[in-house]
Amino acid sequence: MHSEKIDEYTKNSNTALQGGGQDRITSQHEKGKLTARERIDLLLDEGTFVEIDPLTTHHYHEYNMQKKKFFTDGVVGGYGNVSGRQIFVFAYDFTVLGGTLSQMGAKKITKLMDHALKTGCPIIGVMDSGGARIQEGIMSLDGFADIFYHNQLASGVIPQITASVGPSAGGSVYSPAMTDFVIMVEKVGSMFVTGPDVVKTVLGEEISFEELGGANTHGSKSGVAHFVAENEYECMDYIKKLISFLPQNNTEQPPKLTTDDDPNRLDHNLINIMPENPLQPYDMKEIINSIVDDHDFFEVHELFAPNIVVGYARLNGTVVGIVANQPMHLAGALDIDSSNKASRFIRFCDSFNVPIITLVDTPGYMPGSNQEHNGIIRHGSKLLYAYCEATVPRITLVIGKAYGGAYIAMGSKNLRTDVNYAWPTAKCAVLGGEAAVKIMNRKELAASDDPESLKKELIEEFAQKFENPYVAASHGTVDNVIDPAETRPMLIKALEMLANKREKQLPRKHGNINL
Amino acid sequence: MIEKVLIANRGEIALRVIRTCKALGIKTVAVYSDEDTNSMHVKQATEAYHIGEATPAKSYLNQEKILDVMLSSGADSVHPGYGFLSENDDFASLCEKNKITFIGPSADSMNLCGDKMKCKAAMLKADVPTVPGSPGLVKDADDAEKIANDIGYPVMLKSVYGGGGRGIRIVTNDKELRDGYESVTGESIAAVGKSAILVEKFLEKTRHIEYQFARDTQGNAVHIFERECSIQRRNQKLIEQTPSPIVDEETRARVGELVVNAAHAVDYTNLGTAEFLRADNGEFYFIEINARLQVEHPITEFVSGLDLVKLQLDIANGEPIPFKQSDLKMNGYAIECRINAEDTFMDFAPSTGPVPDVTIPAGPSVRCDTYLYPGCTVSPYYDSLMAKLVTWGQTFEESRTRMLSALNDFYIQGVETSIPLYKTILNSDEYKNGDLSTDFLKRYDMINRLTADLKTEKENKTDAALAAAIIHSEYFKSRIQNTTTHNSHWKDKLD
Amino acid sequence: MTNYKIQDIEKSFDGKIIENLGNNDYVIKINDAEHKLKIITMNSNGIEFILNQQYHKAKYLEQSTNEMNIVIDNVPMTLNLHTHFDKIVYKNSGGGGSGTTQKALKSQIPGKVVSISVGHGDSVKKGDVVCTLESMKMQVAVKAHKDGVIRNIKAKETGTVAKGDIIADIE
Repeated sequence: MHSEKIDEYTKNSNTALQGGGQDRITSQHEKGKLTARERIDLLLDEGTFVEIDPLTTHHYHEYNMQKKKFFTDGVVGGYGNVSGRQIFVFAYDFTVLGGTLSQMGAKKITKLMDHALKTGCPIIGVMDSGGARIQEGIMSLDGFADIFYHNQLASGVIPQITASVGPSAGGSVYSPAMTDFVIMVEKVGSMFVTGPDVVKTVLGEEISFEELGGANTHGSKSGVAHFVAENEYECMDYIKKLISFLPQNNTEQPPKLTTDDDPNRLDHNLINIMPENPLQPYDMKEIINSIVDDHDFFEVHELFAPNIVVGYARLNGTVVGIVANQPMHLAGALDIDSSNKASRFIRFCDSFNVPIITLVDTPGYMPGSNQEHNGIIRHGSKLLYAYCEATVPRITLVIGKAYGGAYIAMGSKNLRTDVNYAWPTAKCAVLGGEAAVKIMNRKELAASDDPESLKKELIEEFAQKFENPYVAASHGTVDNVIDPAETRPMLIKALEMLANKREKQLPRKHGNINL
Repeated sequence: MIEKVLIANRGEIALRVIRTCKALGIKTVAVYSDEDTNSMHVKQATEAYHIGEATPAKSYLNQEKILDVMLSSGADSVHPGYGFLSENDDFASLCEKNKITFIGPSADSMNLCGDKMKCKAAMLKADVPTVPGSPGLVKDADDAEKIANDIGYPVMLKSVYGGGGRGIRIVTNDKELRDGYESVTGESIAAVGKSAILVEKFLEKTRHIEYQFARDTQGNAVHIFERECSIQRRNQKLIEQTPSPIVDEETRARVGELVVNAAHAVDYTNLGTAEFLRADNGEFYFIEINARLQVEHPITEFVSGLDLVKLQLDIANGEPIPFKQSDLKMNGYAIECRINAEDTFMDFAPSTGPVPDVTIPAGPSVRCDTYLYPGCTVSPYYDSLMAKLVTWGQTFEESRTRMLSALNDFYIQGVETSIPLYKTILNSDEYKNGDLSTDFLKRYDMINRLTADLKTEKENKTDAALAAAIIHSEYFKSRIQNTTTHNSHWKDKLD
Repeated sequence: MTNYKIQDIEKSFDGKIIENLGNNDYVIKINDAEHKLKIITMNSNGIEFILNQQYHKAKYLEQSTNEMNIVIDNVPMTLNLHTHFDKIVYKNSGGGGSGTTQKALKSQIPGKVVSISVGHGDSVKKGDVVCTLESMKMQVAVKAHKDGVIRNIKAKETGTVAKGDIIADIE
């Protein structure tokens, strides 16, 4: 019965699956890009995708648009499971009118975001769009604004992740920028506010898509991209791995996994990773890899500001966010980019109940007019603010140098860090010996006949007195000096102790972090 | 009387020696580097002393350190195992000087055997035939090239102090000789600290046949049968067996007598092995004497019923060998497979890392000498030999099928092993027929056959693999301790 | 239905769970055949199950979107998923399973770097020695996997590399 109606329904459903039509699909494939539906397929668990609004179309008649109506109107979206967890996803469909955003497209995206907010699930956006649909004029721009508004509504409430697997230009790039994590695929994804053509016209500067706003550019120069994937498979891997560390929403704890890695595992080799010569660099990641569960450290923002390392890992099954100076780059000094990178990471962890572990070995802030003129004062203050603001359990371990402002900024005790430990090799001081002696003993050095050997002596004295963790320990600003081999068990015990930490900030609309 | 033995070695051989000592009520002292803190031999010995960093030069080759331990632990003897210091005459002298019994030959005898040239000269005097080659050490690459051209390519560049197949390169022309000369020098220095090169004619389609022998302080010498070790790669043995399919009673006795003469010729004491190359025409050529206990000694133990480490201890105690040549009778057949941590398909490149799980085969006439245990680590600093799997049978076929079954039961997780290759070799007709030669792997295209066998094995596991893949989602769910699929907190939140 | 392709075996298979009967009993489908599966144990080591009256043990190694690595009854196997997308996905990255078109020259073994035979910008041909590693007292040469120009030398002399570490890029 009702066979005509059934036929009509079947025809519509099948058409919706075709997006912009087989020709456009073929063209998309030839560019080495998957279609929106194929991407959702790769991301979600088999058979769990439930599509929402597959039959929406635009309602425009200007510019003969009524002849170019397609189901889904350029955005495919719905919900499904990623590794068994419910998430909402929308993917721009490049085969439909170049993936341009229309009023209906925006309506669909915001509908999904509303659902995600109501049910407390993460939302993932897949960008592959030509930008605003010019034919719809201002209404298209309003659509973007709507999406941006929802990005803000959701920020810090549910995790928002963006995959850049195609172009994203003009205003549309601001949505990804407002989300928590951006993964870009090399040679496929690109983001810029003004494209190469306009750049050439206005400034005469010739630059390619990839160089202006490709994955590597945003991964390493601008820091817009948190992950750079080699291909779309890897992109999905990154998303899945990332989600495995995050809770569904801000009322949940991150998922705890069973592990065989002994929480009492000692590593006697940790102390050997740090060279005796303080001027010799070493790789902080070696230390991180050793102390976390199963040597599994998921680094975030790897290519940007390499002088600081941030990422997720587990300690005895509990997810932690790790912030650590990287002595291999700029000797681990703090600067504008690293301050921004770490601050944003810390604030995300705080929003989503991820404890923060800080490993410190930094000589201080990068000097120079470049840093000063570009506002190291403003940007550096973000790091301090972010730490103070965070009410999740916070543990700091000083393993090497911790001088001056950087000592304070890297999760020191009085920023209300919960647990502070130091290795015997830690050096907590206002300045390094050389600089300190030059200032404090200026008169003696000037008056001496052999300033060089006197300086050497004074530096030795200074080192004995101040370049160690014991002064800090004597004041309780470091809870204890620990045996490096026991780092892992000590951190795990501290985390367990802090598991039920409850701390609240004074109520206010929001603070005024120096942006 | 030996009461406390220091074992200057690690891995499976350290365990092997400890076992016999324990059985005889003799105390043992183990030494270990940073890398071996969690090793089995450290746990099994009566006492264990830390001697240095992972690099062999700083630990297992550090004679002063080891001597220190010998003196402070009160050990009265030292067993050097194989490799490391086992054929280092400086070390043997050091022990002699400090009145510590070196369980092996004297420093002089070792020196003679270790110097391939001197040894060759001694053999010629004793009428033991040897392989054509350079009259002495080659001075440099130029000299080597001249000699190579004199004897005729292909030739082998051999490091005089090399052992265990290292420090050997086969070259077929001048350019290869030049390249090979450099690497052989480098490897030799890395392994035992010194280098000196010989050139020897490379014989094609040869079989490597060696004889176990023993000689006591009273001058009594016996041979304890032959072992065939033809299946090799890069001149390192992979599979050994006894008796050799090509050696009959008459040959055994004839060459055995040559071996006994050789032992007398170098005034050898304790256990040693005389290596021969048997050319295709049946001629036996003496190569060298290995002045130590060999890796493959277990197969001799199976067919002779002897505990060779015990025999070593007896001789070291000054006792005479407790039997005559005529008392020794071969019983049955034995095979040994050296289970190495190597990737067969990557040209046998070493495979190292943690071994989370291992299942060691056992059963009647199945022996496995290994340092592996679940949770141990295969170190990149040392040899790739992880285990020796040895089987015995009344007939050759019985020992062969027993070995196949044991190989199937042997599971080592975390590193690549040579186990699949051995299964292919032992299943081949050529192996069953005893058609062995030192170029066995290449001659019979074993690697390609292995690839085919692995494919068949995979094909047999297809359904199970798919089932495991399909059910993975259920497995994954079971690992999450706190479920996030039901957002109960979200619903209840009021502010 | 998920489509699986087992590496080294030419066939492809469709598989899914049809029914969860509870008590760790399932009915699964492989191509057109249905099979009974009972899970015996599940722990961090993997799973043990009975498939059609036969016992099997499986351990799950690395997983990614398009690849599953398992060890089934001690036999390591790799299953590829979504293989029909491969041609499209690898178009721009020129990579994936077959290493010859990747630009990264990776070390197949762990070891200490004894010497680096090339410099940044050098031209190499497939098979040229790029660096020499020492492991287990053996020296192993790492050779170029394709023709090209050396860039981004990541290995350092006297440093160590782990299996899979990038030695250098060859573009």
